[in-house]
Amino acid sequence: MTVNMTPRARGRAPRRRLGLFGTSVLGAAIGIAFLIPLWWTAINSLRPGAETFRYLNPLEWQTFLTLTPTFDNYVALAGSDLGRAILNSLFISLVTVIFGLAICATAAYGLAAFQFRGRGVLFSVVILSFLIPFDAIAIPLADMFRDWNLQNTFFGLILPGLGNGMAIFLLRTFFLAVPEDLVEAARLDGLGWWGVFWRIYLPLSVPSLIGAGLMLFLFQWQAYVWPLLMGTDRAHIVGPVALSNLQGQFAVDYGVLFAASVILILIPLVIILGFQRYFIQSVSTTGLK
Amino acid sequence: MTSRLSSGTGVAARTGTAARRPRRRSSPLLIALAFLAPALIALLVLRIAPAAVALWQSMFQSGLLSGDRFVGLSNYIDLFASPDFQGALGVTLLFTVLINPIQVAVSFLLAVLYTKRLAGAKIWRSLVILPIAVPPAVSAVMWSVIYRPDGLANAFLDLFGIPPQPFLTSPQQALVSIMVLLSWIGVGYWMMFLIAGINDVPRSYYEAASLDGASSWRQLWSITFPLVRRPLAFVLVADTVSNLLVFAPVQILTKGGPEGSTNLLMYDIFTRAYTLGDLNTAQAEVVILVLVTVLIVGVQFRLLKAED
Repeated sequence: MTVNMTPRARGRAPRRRLGLFGTSVLGAAIGIAFLIPLWWTAINSLRPGAETFRYLNPLEWQTFLTLTPTFDNYVALAGSDLGRAILNSLFISLVTVIFGLAICATAAYGLAAFQFRGRGVLFSVVILSFLIPFDAIAIPLADMFRDWNLQNTFFGLILPGLGNGMAIFLLRTFFLAVPEDLVEAARLDGLGWWGVFWRIYLPLSVPSLIGAGLMLFLFQWQAYVWPLLMGTDRAHIVGPVALSNLQGQFAVDYGVLFAASVILILIPLVIILGFQRYFIQSVSTTGLK
Repeated sequence: MTSRLSSGTGVAARTGTAARRPRRRSSPLLIALAFLAPALIALLVLRIAPAAVALWQSMFQSGLLSGDRFVGLSNYIDLFASPDFQGALGVTLLFTVLINPIQVAVSFLLAVLYTKRLAGAKIWRSLVILPIAVPPAVSAVMWSVIYRPDGLANAFLDLFGIPPQPFLTSPQQALVSIMVLLSWIGVGYWMMFLIAGINDVPRSYYEAASLDGASSWRQLWSITFPLVRRPLAFVLVADTVSNLLVFAPVQILTKGGPEGSTNLLMYDIFTRAYTLGDLNTAQAEVVILVLVTVLIVGVQFRLLKAED
């Protein structure tokens, strides 16, 4: 190969190195651009609200750094209604994960492990239910929930998050991969259907359970339309709705606003990063299969 | 997938002991239904019933004295005749036609960039992915501060000698400003699907193309692009559906204004139902929105099936 090297090919090595440098700089610049709003929010949560707009005209290093970080905003948040709203969000999301996983995993097992007349029809109910985007039907559903007196109850806030067609779909895909021989052997050993589900399907599908759990969590954590329609009293309001109410007020303490934003971002971020592998796996399974 | 658990008969036949058969006392259908019931009830009541209720109520008109009165399709006719709805439809169409191709193209180009061998690719890539953790409502609140006249966005423009811009208070810029804050949290998410797709392309294709002297631009269009067509199609459809449902930034930042320039369909439904108090017509609008999204996803299913 070295012998046949054309002048064009020989000239390519330095050019490629230059290209590598150029794309690296481009990649870094874009990455930093995406980071800036987050970074600026985080830094502003560490300084008094009165200083939010102090270092913007013109931009200087202190726009993005502070030498005197203070946690006062977070302390102020802890006892406030906004802090309570974030706890409401956390409670709603965690309960949704626990009960949602139970409901979705049993349903996926029913679809994956049994063969019966009408299975196709039931599976299309699941598909149809995730073709209908939840936010689109939130208004008629809220109308129904008001008739059932579920407004401003945690039950009403949690319920729509439990049956998640996408999570069922994801779990079913993984359940279908459970080896049949294993199940038959367990059945012959006298394990019942519940035992097969609990002792074989669930332990073999931990990654997909984590993926589905993340899906259920993020659905509730990111929800805005539904909690706005369903729970806006002090005891039930969720973090994002309370934060946006604050934004609309006349005198805003930006420090506290940024501190609340940071917490509302940090909680899902830590969870996503902690389960990164499962997150990407579940994302690509639902998307591509 | 051919004979899953329920084929207890298969086991019996293989072992040759017909005596095992009576052990299967309860039929799998009932057991399967028992496992499926909670989720099916939840999905029927919480997803499908509201859509049906919307369809039903959209054909009635409720009056204070007369009660509910069947009016057929006249709510739909009124809707299409109303300038508010026409405006919302136009804004939504413009928004859809702009944001989806832009987000998908940017996600694709970033996926290509960050799958190249470049210094710190993994770090820069994760910086682009980080904002996907930001809930849309929180993104809206953060950008409301960034877009203020004395905010961060104008500070950056000043760096390049550009005069301060009005952003959310300008009918020309408000919709674009909302697109920016949505893309900030959206692009990284869609990029993940495309990176997964690109990583599935065998390395040897590129090596062969390099030996043939194909430029990297040529490789992008002749190898990468056709081979990630499937994830690209999925991302385009999923992105389109999620952008049809944009609500939080409009409600938080612009309330559909200025001059109706950000009055997207979801927000129009919301104001029609609660500000104008015309629930029946709002239900008609819900039906239209659901039909459009189901249609888009249905077309995708067809296309992906046809390709197999």
